[in-house]
Amino acid sequence: MSTVEAPQTQAPKPKTPSTDSGRWRSLLPPLIVGVVAVVAWEVLVRVFNIQKFLIPRPSSIIAALSTSWADILEGTKRTGYVAVSGLIVGVIIAVALALLCTRFRFMADALTPMAAALAATPIVALAPIYFKWFGATDPTAKQLVVVSVVIFPVFINTARGLLEVQNVQIELMHTYGVGDWGILREVRLPNALPFFFTSLKVASSLAVIAAIVAEYFGGQQGTLGSIITQSAGLSRYDRAWAAVLMAALLGIVLYAIVVVLERTFMPWQRAEARR
Amino acid sequence: MTTADTTTPAIEIQGVGMVFNGGRPNEVTALTDIDLTVQAGEFISLIGPSGCGKSTLMRIVGDLETPTSGAVRVNGKDPRQARLDHDYGMAFQQAGLFDWRTVSANIELPLELMKWNKARRQTRSSELLDLVHLADFGAMRPWELSGGMQQRVAIARALAASPGLLLMDEPFGALDEMTRERMQGELVRICAETGATVIFVTHSIPEAVYLSDRVVVMSARPGQITDVIPVALGERNEDTREDPTFFASITAVREALRGAPVPAVTGSNSVDTS
Amino acid sequence: MATTAPTFLQKPVDPARSNSGRSGPSALSRFARRTVFIIGGIVAVALIYTAVKAMGHATGGTWPFTSMPLPFSTDDVTMPPVMDIVLRFGQPQRTGDPKNLTMWILEAMLFTFREAFVGFIIGIIIGMAIALIMLRTRWLERGVMPWVIVSQTVPLIALAPVVVAFGNQIKVPLFSWQQWMSVALIATYLTFFPVAVNGLRGLKSPTPLALDFMRTNAASGNATLWKLRMPAAVPFLIPALKLAATASVVGAIVGEISAGVRGGLGRLLIDYSAQYLSDPSRLYCVVIGAALLGVLFVALINVTDLLLMRNRPREAR
Repeated sequence: MSTVEAPQTQAPKPKTPSTDSGRWRSLLPPLIVGVVAVVAWEVLVRVFNIQKFLIPRPSSIIAALSTSWADILEGTKRTGYVAVSGLIVGVIIAVALALLCTRFRFMADALTPMAAALAATPIVALAPIYFKWFGATDPTAKQLVVVSVVIFPVFINTARGLLEVQNVQIELMHTYGVGDWGILREVRLPNALPFFFTSLKVASSLAVIAAIVAEYFGGQQGTLGSIITQSAGLSRYDRAWAAVLMAALLGIVLYAIVVVLERTFMPWQRAEARR
Repeated sequence: MTTADTTTPAIEIQGVGMVFNGGRPNEVTALTDIDLTVQAGEFISLIGPSGCGKSTLMRIVGDLETPTSGAVRVNGKDPRQARLDHDYGMAFQQAGLFDWRTVSANIELPLELMKWNKARRQTRSSELLDLVHLADFGAMRPWELSGGMQQRVAIARALAASPGLLLMDEPFGALDEMTRERMQGELVRICAETGATVIFVTHSIPEAVYLSDRVVVMSARPGQITDVIPVALGERNEDTREDPTFFASITAVREALRGAPVPAVTGSNSVDTS
Repeated sequence: MATTAPTFLQKPVDPARSNSGRSGPSALSRFARRTVFIIGGIVAVALIYTAVKAMGHATGGTWPFTSMPLPFSTDDVTMPPVMDIVLRFGQPQRTGDPKNLTMWILEAMLFTFREAFVGFIIGIIIGMAIALIMLRTRWLERGVMPWVIVSQTVPLIALAPVVVAFGNQIKVPLFSWQQWMSVALIATYLTFFPVAVNGLRGLKSPTPLALDFMRTNAASGNATLWKLRMPAAVPFLIPALKLAATASVVGAIVGEISAGVRGGLGRLLIDYSAQYLSDPSRLYCVVIGAALLGVLFVALINVTDLLLMRNRPREAR
């Protein structure tokens, strides 16, 4: 998806002292809304005796999660493995391509429109073809789906960050007699970091989506995707929802890891992020 | 034009004070004990260091802030009523034009909000474009104009509903010096043609002196009026900037800003003429 | 708000637009350049594909100069020749079928597009409605917005099979719920989350100065909404719509697969995949059709973008 946002390039805002009370004040409303929503969901389903195929109660979802815990955990591991390994490979390829673009500008001209067009396509539809290439039970096919989905946003953004640097900074480096390699290290890479992490957040969500959607097309059993489809097919909606819950958790955990990485590698962005 | 009769002052400010975040640790007294009366047709500048509350004072007059104490009358009315009656137009430091509207449509926006019909709006906007010497630019987009031209459009927009009162918050602050002087000349001409009362916030001493009938000097912490300096320059033209009276008034304002005694001018703290 | 919006939804940035000022190449020539590069890319992919096949054929399925087997087979069933795929478009879907494959795929694209588009439009309406409510109700914004933002990191599409099952059971009076509507429902919820996030950001984007200006002109809340906030929100909405358009197509295809809806691309993907051994090229054709649908949908948003933003500065924020 090509519409990834460029990080704001304005100077970081001065760090505001984030007191514990301030943090609580902003955490409390969503917590209240969340708790109220879950309780209302539970109560409404009970009171109106909504049939469980419509929406199972939160308590029965939790119950299903605990009874099927072993299966769902195994499924989460399998799906998570595909998502994470595909993500890592995709990111490496994308960054390598972006770095090549700083060397060969024509590559940027040629690859960027292609990447933008491909980002608009439902790339997961490639899954059936990949299944034919690598065999449906081999996770390679699904990993390749994840790689294909992840490459475009990371490439487009990283290339932007590497290429769209301030001319003043480049000229300053020239006056110091620094070569291309030094410019890359001192100017381009730091400039690209926020772009890269922004796209990595997108990519981490896309990776989980791609892995699960690929699983909907068939292939290996015992994954989150197959648990969801099978349970839904067998009208065991509480179990399906439990698997969806784990998929959501997987997405959030991956995203959180990226945020931690971002704060580790770009401590100067922390104040900005906390606005 | 002003709906009030000529005996009513355009603006009456009595004992106005403004405290932000009252009662909290970050409490700030922005204004204290402000008295000021502006007669219809007068051009008044507010000048002072950053944080002296000159913009706040103007925003109180425009009903963008409510004072914590004191009373304000605009054309003899409550500021809120004056705002609802479109008694004044306001121009800001940035032109603040809407990108998605043509220059004409920007000028017509206040009239649209007053439910004028299209034909009337168009007549009025072309009058205003003539007034600010932008007759050929009505169909263009604001972002296609230079900063000075954009600011002229903003002034035309402020004048759209023929308000008797113009509130201008450093409207030329972002312009280069040459453009700025030209704009000052234009503003003097426009005021002469429309007879508008103007409150003008500025950081620039020559600008305040060149434009104003009276320069209101303010000091910070707490924001208050320290001096009011009348400027007797007569009709302004480009020669005015070379006039010895011009320099004398600049010196007077500068010394008032420094807090030095100003023997030449009446050093009254209160300018309540009533 | 402690939670920051996922940054990919924050600021509208279109690489095509970053070429600031009017001095750059005209929109038409940039479009032509991009088209040339895209066609070049397609040709390049076809050439690489053919080269890999040729390599596999020459080495007997190993990496060149080694005995390491390739991770996939390069025979004509696993990787049908490019020309077979191209020609397949002009042949009947199956022997004796009067309609050729292109017609089948076009009809499936239209069918899937209808589901995705209906859901997409409803999603925009709901998303904007939520954004407007949050704009007016501060406590709701503080309570709900963090959840909407978290939803962006969650694979919402995982819900598709459940939503489809849900739709199958639904009984609405005076109205017969059809399966394609369940599929549209998926596109709806995939759309309304990003639209709500970016819509709210856009509605809140006017500067204090612009809001002061509206206030000094005694503008009503409605006038401020329609003459200031809505136009200001457009550049924020476009990126969300592009994301949502692609997601809607994916959602529709996944929904079709889960629900077993006939007539769309999802069904063709499954059918042609099942009959792959007897007719491999067809699967490639329908995948190309799916890609084309995604591109066309996003192109539709791009055209809307150009129309809505034709009067804005090129470097629009």
